[in-house]
Amino acid sequence: MNDYVIECHNLETAYAPSLNRPILNGINCLIKRGEFVVLLGLNGVGKSTLLRSLVGLVPSVKGEIIINNVEMNSRTLPKIRRDVGMLFQGGGLIRQLSALENVLCGCLGKRTTWQTLLGFSKRDRILALELLNQLGLGELAFQKTSQLSGGQQQRVAIARTLIQLPQILLVDEPITGLDVIASQQVMQTLSELHTQQGMTIVAVLHDLGIAEKYAQRAIVLDAGRIVYQGHCDNLQAQFARVSG
Amino acid sequence: MSSFFKLKRLRFYPWLSSLLILLIVVVVYGWALRGLKLDFELLRSSWPYITDFITRLFPPDWKVLDIAVKALIETVQMSLWGTTIGAILSVPIAIASASNVAPGWLRSLANLLQNTVRSVPSIILGLIFVAATGLGASAGTLALGIYTIGYLAKFYQQAIEAVDPHSLESLQVIGASKLQIAQYGILPQVLPLGLGYTFWMFEYNIRAASVLGVVGAGGIGFQLKSYIDGFEYTKATTMMLVLLVVVTVIDTFSSQLRHRLDSM
Repeated sequence: MNDYVIECHNLETAYAPSLNRPILNGINCLIKRGEFVVLLGLNGVGKSTLLRSLVGLVPSVKGEIIINNVEMNSRTLPKIRRDVGMLFQGGGLIRQLSALENVLCGCLGKRTTWQTLLGFSKRDRILALELLNQLGLGELAFQKTSQLSGGQQQRVAIARTLIQLPQILLVDEPITGLDVIASQQVMQTLSELHTQQGMTIVAVLHDLGIAEKYAQRAIVLDAGRIVYQGHCDNLQAQFARVSG
Repeated sequence: MSSFFKLKRLRFYPWLSSLLILLIVVVVYGWALRGLKLDFELLRSSWPYITDFITRLFPPDWKVLDIAVKALIETVQMSLWGTTIGAILSVPIAIASASNVAPGWLRSLANLLQNTVRSVPSIILGLIFVAATGLGASAGTLALGIYTIGYLAKFYQQAIEAVDPHSLESLQVIGASKLQIAQYGILPQVLPLGLGYTFWMFEYNIRAASVLGVVGAGGIGFQLKSYIDGFEYTKATTMMLVLLVVVTVIDTFSSQLRHRLDSM
């Protein structure tokens, strides 16, 4: 047993002809329980692919991924996914469903197909409403998600992830396309989850200032490899040095 | 080497590619017109016959209005059941054809089935079902049901393929089963578009049902052909006017409904 919740050893994904290399090309990284880590890098360097491979959405061709001391394979994937929540770029919500229904979708992994065939239990609905209230969306619970603003949608997506009670939260560009206020609200929510609940957070971000403000450690990728792992002080200079 | 120079030339003279496309379009249209063997002189000389035929259609004979309404109700009934049967049968075929849901081998089979159904004209389907069940609306309804698959399966397939992949991946990561993903991920996204297509098909089938009547498969088309065959053109006009009114009303209604569904 060790204190690392995420371990990647020599991780390599399939060859991408457009890039002339594997998207991830020998990733080695260790992330401790309760850490807030930010993934940085230019477009196409493999940040989102790394996140997606941590939940088995991108298969690896070499190397290994260990989550909570469990090596990832097709047999262990359902168990790993129970501990990991993922916030997709744009939320990954069903726009035609209400905010409440979207949050309830977070319970699908814990309920069988028969249990959810006619809807969700009263207990699940109360829990979902409580989460929406906590995130300041109680009054919008029955509103169609497509009618919510970008920031509100992102908070619905956070509520949907939280109802899963994950230990690890993977976040893919949570503030892309949001205004300053909405960005701050989303980042504040993530920060509170980290500080108050001790959740491990791995986030892909583009804003170095925000990364410095909220994250404890930065991982910089370039051409499918990690080129910097370390503290978040003076990220601007660090980033310029490795990407220049 | 020569093709390299041609590509380079196209890059420096972008208008050359536009001119080339225009030339190809003109050639294709010219080829198609030649194939038609149109005789413009004959068309000009036949104009008096066309106007004579049109004048014989008027004024409409309103004495057959009750027959027209009765036949039209049968046409609407045929379209309603034909569209419903077709829509139900289209769902599994569409799922089996969608590239984001079905495996390759199943997609090929389902697409082949779709293409086969689509390439059979409605009138042939009408003849087949008249031979099977005899003259009348039941033959027309079954023919419409099969005819509908050719269109709705394709439309439903496109609606399924247009589903946001991130939303399905997010449910997959949550640990939802395939059926749960279908119920909570695919169905809500496909339903508004699918219902819109189904309403359009219902409206389209009313017109298609009129054609099926020609081969004795029931509906207003049967009456229409009887009047034209008997040179009772004014009665045929009444039939066409009643059809026009109903198609316009249904089109207005379904357009509004589709608009509301689109905004969902």
